[in-house]
Amino acid sequence: MSTADDLGAFYEALLFISERPMTSAELAELADMPLARAEAALANLAGELAEDGRGLRLQRLGDAWQLATAPEVGERLAAYAAREEARLTSAALEALAVVAYRQPCTRGEVDRLRGVDSDYVLRSLLHRRLIAEVGRRDTPGRPILFGTTFTFLERFGLTSLDDLPPIDEVELPTLPAAAEPEPVDAG
Amino acid sequence: MTLEPIAIAAPPSAPLRVVGSTPGEPDFEVQLGVFSGPLAVLLHLIESRQLDVLSVPLAELADAYVAHLATNPVDPGQLAEFVAVAAQLILLKSRSLLPGEVGPGLPAADAEPDEEELRRRLLEYRAVRDVARALGERDLLAPMQRREPRESDLPAAAVAALPPSLLAEAMRALAAIPEPEPPPPEIVARDITIAMQIVVLRAALAGGGRVVLQQLLATCRSRTEATVTLLATLELVRRRQVRVRQRELFGPIVLESMA
Repeated sequence: MSTADDLGAFYEALLFISERPMTSAELAELADMPLARAEAALANLAGELAEDGRGLRLQRLGDAWQLATAPEVGERLAAYAAREEARLTSAALEALAVVAYRQPCTRGEVDRLRGVDSDYVLRSLLHRRLIAEVGRRDTPGRPILFGTTFTFLERFGLTSLDDLPPIDEVELPTLPAAAEPEPVDAG
Repeated sequence: MTLEPIAIAAPPSAPLRVVGSTPGEPDFEVQLGVFSGPLAVLLHLIESRQLDVLSVPLAELADAYVAHLATNPVDPGQLAEFVAVAAQLILLKSRSLLPGEVGPGLPAADAEPDEEELRRRLLEYRAVRDVARALGERDLLAPMQRREPRESDLPAAAVAALPPSLLAEAMRALAAIPEPEPPPPEIVARDITIAMQIVVLRAALAGGGRVVLQQLLATCRSRTEATVTLLATLELVRRRQVRVRQRELFGPIVLESMA
């Protein structure tokens, strides 16, 4: 067994017993490995789990990792881990989509894109832990920045934000370049 | 060219939907058969007529939008946003009806900043709506589960290897502790009767001997026994079986058998 495989097995076991997501830095320190080596081993493990069609997947959010069950078995697992969850409303989905694709983003951006006040919808998403506060923007009023969570990835069966369905880029070829009211960080 | 206001087909959501999870949670939500916002309504008006968002003159949608607003319920909390868009559309329409006539202080109509701004917002909203629909199709479709913390997931105690000699030391320490005395089997009141003490007195005086009362009382183990012994002495005196003598105050009381 090569060292890389050994490291992958160690991380698989470690994340199996860990009850919370662990950061790349923590995982590197626990294995006494440089950060780059640890991240390479984690990425390799994630690829192996997906390619071999195993029952677990390695999810990544930012620099945090967690093991989760594969989306393919999600439906059959429901008999055991029944979640009495209501489907999200179209308003909630719209707000969630804005946060997911534009994160980190402010409530103002969600309001502007949806054309309606989104305070209530965002609070509902916060309560369901689908989004979370991830910081403050350094603009007047220091508005709260929202981002999506591991719960969001789990609910939609996503291994990472890279798995989000591709968005149709808004093409505005015939329109004059509109001035952005506030800068939006590309997700 | 104006567009006839047409009846809006049933909105994408069911007429009345109550969405909520467990009671008491704040995400309880009643969604009436309304669009999620004014942009959603406007986009629906355009798409239901199979018009191109990029080219349709938005001013021509003013009538249809206002008609929709008049006949469909709108969440009162969001009425302002719906009305704001209606006002924008009516402004656009009035400009298209009166080309060239610009009131004092108003921006030139041919600048048309409002229409392009509104169109841009519509396009942005359309992208959000489409991606929200794509997300909605995945909602809870193939959820992933994570390991939930368990009862046993207490922080691990520091476990260093313990020397076995500690066990032996603990045993020795246990041996050094004296065994506790066994508790009395039962607590019973000790009955001392006058008859019992008479027997004791007669035994002491047997053979014509003498007994000093104070010495006898000194051997008594309790106040009750002493009292009963005194009473037994008096009883023997009353029966004239014993003679009691005391030569001086607080002196020894000598008992003599009279038998």
